[in-house]
Amino acid sequence: MLARPGLPDFEYLKAESPQEVFNLLKDKGPDLKLMMGGTDLFVQMRDRDSGPGTLLDIKGLPGMQEIEFGKTVGLTLGAAVTLNQISAHKDIRKYYPVLCQAADTVGNYQLRNRATLGGNICNASPSADMAPALLIYDAELILESPGGERQLPVAEFWVGPGKIALKEDEYLKAIHFPPPPEGAVGQYYKLGRSKMGDLAIVGVGMLGYPDPETPAGLRFKIGINSTAPTPYRVPAVEDYLAQHSLSDDVLSQAAEDAMDISAPIEDIRATALYQKKMVRNLTKKGLKEIWGSLK
Amino acid sequence: MENHAITLIVNGQEEALLVPSNMTLLHALRDGLGLTGTKNGCEAGECGACTVLVDGEPVNSCLVLAVELDGREITTIEGLSSNGKLTPLQQAFADLNAVQCGYCTPGMLMAGTALLRRNPNPTVEDIQKALVGNLCRCTGYQRIIDAIMEASRNGGTR
Amino acid sequence: MTITESGLIGKSVQRTDVMDKVTGCAVFVDDIQFGPKLLHSRLVRSPYPHALIKKIDTSKAEALPGVRAVVTGKDLTARLGLYLIDRPIFAYDRVRVYGEPVAGVVATSEDIAVEAVKLVEVEYEVLPAIYDPVESAQPDAPLIHPDLGSYSVVNFIFPEPGTNISEHFKIRKGDAESAFAECAAVAEGRFRLPPIEHVPIETHTSVALCEKTGQVTLWASSQSPFAMRDMIAQGLDIPHNKLRVIAPLVGGGFGGKAGVTMEACAVVLAQAVEGHPVKLRLTREEEFVGTSTRQSLISDIKVGCDKDGNLQAMELTYYFGGGAYNDYGVNIARAAGYSCTGPYDVPNVKADSLCVYTNTPVGSAMRGFGMPEIHWGLEQIMDHLAEEVGMDPVLFRRINCVRTDDEIVSGMKMTPIDLEACIDKAAKAIQWEKKEEPTGPNKKRGKGIAIMWKAPAMPPNPGSAAVVRFNEDATLQVEVGGQEIGQGAFTVAAQIAADVLGIPYENVTVSTPLDTKYSPYEWQTVASRLTWSMGNAVKAAAEDARCQILETVADAWDEDIEDLTIKDGVVISFKSEREQPLDKMVIYGMPNDDFEGWKGGPVVGRGHFMPTYVTNLDPETGQGTRAVVHYTVGAQAVDLEVDLETGQLEVLNIASVYDVGRAINPDLIMTQIEGGAVHGMSSAYEAMKFNEDGVVINPSFVDYRIATIADIPRKIHGDYVETPIDDGPWGARGVGEHVMVQTAPAIANALYDAVGIRFSDLPLSADKIYMALEEKELTQKD
Repeated sequence: MLARPGLPDFEYLKAESPQEVFNLLKDKGPDLKLMMGGTDLFVQMRDRDSGPGTLLDIKGLPGMQEIEFGKTVGLTLGAAVTLNQISAHKDIRKYYPVLCQAADTVGNYQLRNRATLGGNICNASPSADMAPALLIYDAELILESPGGERQLPVAEFWVGPGKIALKEDEYLKAIHFPPPPEGAVGQYYKLGRSKMGDLAIVGVGMLGYPDPETPAGLRFKIGINSTAPTPYRVPAVEDYLAQHSLSDDVLSQAAEDAMDISAPIEDIRATALYQKKMVRNLTKKGLKEIWGSLK
Repeated sequence: MENHAITLIVNGQEEALLVPSNMTLLHALRDGLGLTGTKNGCEAGECGACTVLVDGEPVNSCLVLAVELDGREITTIEGLSSNGKLTPLQQAFADLNAVQCGYCTPGMLMAGTALLRRNPNPTVEDIQKALVGNLCRCTGYQRIIDAIMEASRNGGTR
Repeated sequence: MTITESGLIGKSVQRTDVMDKVTGCAVFVDDIQFGPKLLHSRLVRSPYPHALIKKIDTSKAEALPGVRAVVTGKDLTARLGLYLIDRPIFAYDRVRVYGEPVAGVVATSEDIAVEAVKLVEVEYEVLPAIYDPVESAQPDAPLIHPDLGSYSVVNFIFPEPGTNISEHFKIRKGDAESAFAECAAVAEGRFRLPPIEHVPIETHTSVALCEKTGQVTLWASSQSPFAMRDMIAQGLDIPHNKLRVIAPLVGGGFGGKAGVTMEACAVVLAQAVEGHPVKLRLTREEEFVGTSTRQSLISDIKVGCDKDGNLQAMELTYYFGGGAYNDYGVNIARAAGYSCTGPYDVPNVKADSLCVYTNTPVGSAMRGFGMPEIHWGLEQIMDHLAEEVGMDPVLFRRINCVRTDDEIVSGMKMTPIDLEACIDKAAKAIQWEKKEEPTGPNKKRGKGIAIMWKAPAMPPNPGSAAVVRFNEDATLQVEVGGQEIGQGAFTVAAQIAADVLGIPYENVTVSTPLDTKYSPYEWQTVASRLTWSMGNAVKAAAEDARCQILETVADAWDEDIEDLTIKDGVVISFKSEREQPLDKMVIYGMPNDDFEGWKGGPVVGRGHFMPTYVTNLDPETGQGTRAVVHYTVGAQAVDLEVDLETGQLEVLNIASVYDVGRAINPDLIMTQIEGGAVHGMSSAYEAMKFNEDGVVINPSFVDYRIATIADIPRKIHGDYVETPIDDGPWGARGVGEHVMVQTAPAIANALYDAVGIRFSDLPLSADKIYMALEEKELTQKD
């Protein structure tokens, strides 16, 4: 009924090698859960007064906390890189600023010292703050299994609230971002009930960049959270913007379209109608600002 | 389930502990070591009353397992002042009445100490960003901001 | 005897408790070490808001290894209550609110207790639940307390058996009906507030120990160890001297740790496992669900004035949603009744203030005790009426506000205050006349003002006692029963004692923790009454000790006591210029001049204070000579802006000014004013939320948001005026609660100024504001 005091009983194991992870995944099946920062997981275990029999800590595996960046190859983040590490990284702040902005809005500073990017992805909350940035930077997840690696676009990873396309024998090893478009300008627009620290009522991540191929001369990428079962891009809106010569009316129409695509449910944070209207207003605000700084 | 033998370096002192898997750092400090200055306010990482430093960085001790921290350095409120000498931040909290009921104070001081170490000259906004996870129901926070600014002028955390 | 002025009264000395609190040495209940005999407990809580308990089967829980006891209310039909004895310790025949304790388990670990709770099987027959106090007050509403008529009740509370009304307070003054007919302007409205939580950062925690001798000790996070002892002792039939309540520092109270919450459960659980201390610590989620709340209120307000804006008549009905048990809450409706007009001079008033049972969390004391609730509507309707007669809200309040010696709504003569000065200072600080520009595009900015009054709401004769006791080196122990809950009560006690005794402030220690075994009596740490009432007691105790010292010295020196004083810890004679340090003398006395024999002895001063002048009120008219001891008044002005794209409010500035009588420690007053302004602002956005089954759906900091460090106003301008009262120490009165009473309506008035929309219901959530803006077509700006 109510959250319990302290954590329910479980066995903690720390993985030293990928092989150990695969073996344990095979042995223990659904009774084992992978953990990194634990900031979402522990709260859920308290709330539900239940959890897996075993928690396997994989944040110490080789490469899990590494950050690699090159202008031509892009950015690769180990799944256990913390949100504060992302925020403090100069290259990420320069080339992928929306990731840093989004990271800075998650919970609070203490929490972000533990919370990992991989955890935020695997938790698959519809309101995940990192999601819009992951979507607009075209993040590819690197999933490790006994058979080797596979890559999956992040949008395909989220199947529903709390549901992910992780196979039974896999774990999320890293997240890769291609180099951002030349001249890109981006911003994460988040609306919470408090100025800082809240979950998103609506969050819109947006990237704009010059594209001479389009009538607009620009192209936008828009990622939205909290207003559908999973975070989502709005390709129809992005295409509409690319195909029109930009004006206030066009931006307004695009924002209206984004609102129409959003499908929030009534929740404790806000009414569904308000959330829809905020998708429109934040989208419009973002488009205006980013268009303004690209002009 | 079985207990894990770990060693924590708490306020400079090596402490050997036997902890079950589900014991958080908060409970290891309070129940295992009797370091009750670190407070339990929500056990959900929302109030910051349990903030301590792990290797110098602030964390919510309610959301970290003790077993994860074998060999790590922990600093709690009890480790801030030494030989009866307060740090400039503690002194500023006392001088400016940034304390009322005192329950959030240890967490505020630990988060504030960490902030001043990484940013010796914070702005009001820097302080708000760093302490948004530390709830206080008494003071209205202004004195806490003032105290951190004051400590910043008086040499920070040393 | 002349009172020496050591200059400590009016000085912002350092808090007595601050060193402990910045070093982690401060001890709260959960910090006390009890050793290996400590057992842990958890409560079994009702999943329904209203149901009959058909059967409780504890056998499976009892069989779980590690479980030491399972306790239900089966053999425990005692009830508790401060004013109306209506609350069982464990529900035994019916549950009246979601989360109500129906049983408790004691086990060797908290983990085992958690498991045992799941094994207690309770069979319920669900009853229709009622949440709205207006519906619940109707004659045909399902009864929540069918036995209301059989409950014990104090002689100034008037329940109506056969209904859900636990208190009905009436004011009939003048002739409101006729007066309305003459009014040039009338405004009316219905205003609502949801229940909100106190949200101390320390959750309720207690540890109880029952010895085989029957001696019971209870460690509790409590604002009122004596009231707690009294209620539990009466309820469980324990002699007061066999029940010892130890109350260490309180990690935030705000009224939520007044009276008894779940501490009696801890005692009953400890009785089942004699010789073992039993800890009962609420989780944050239980703090939201299983403790008292501020009551909800639906107020119907009608007010009229003449063409010059002079208030003529008011008609008021207050429906307080008292929750499942109104043992404490009945007095909130009464307090709201005798102060129903707010701080205004109104000749004709008809008012009914009702406390009504509802199947919602227990409504009880919270900072302001009824005043934030009634001022929410009152202070908005005054703006409305001022607008009707074309008058500036500040001017309207200056004209109509209550003044010293006015005959107020209860028939009492107003005690000394200067509310106009508060209004003027607040208006000036906020630059009332100046129209401010918004700080950015798509924003609108506005200013609002609200004023308040509040009297300590108590029984007529709550007492305070104090003892001061010297140590050999002339340092001093001050013993009080009033609690330090963050407000600085211990500091003020030490300051008063040091000033009267002419000793350095640093030489005074307040004896802690409070312990009913040793501490002198104090009714409760509530009602902003400590500086005033406990302050009087400490002053009297210090004066008693001072008198003993001076008598001894005068006798030894053969001088007149009038020629002596104490300065910096030394008795000096103005006449002979002789000096006698207090060191040693305060314990060992003084030798006679010829060294033949001694005088004096250990100095122990005692003092008490109890108001003896509060009178009863007529039950039909609410009129009497003196309803309360005194009032504290104040004004707040708010400068805010609203974001037209999101509906979010930002309070930019708050000016907050109160008449404190006399500032004993000015900076501690300012800390109350600042903290109160933020608490008041936060309260405008807070609400407990329930689903249709009466279940609290936001019992966490994630979904019940309180103001964070990022949410505070850019500027809080605090100030005070000093109009001394007759019965306070140096004229001082309390200000701890007042500082948040009218913040929410001040915000609502500023919001109206900004966008021309009135919000009659709290909370002021962004989605509600945005929808209203859209309806008014204020959001379409580009």
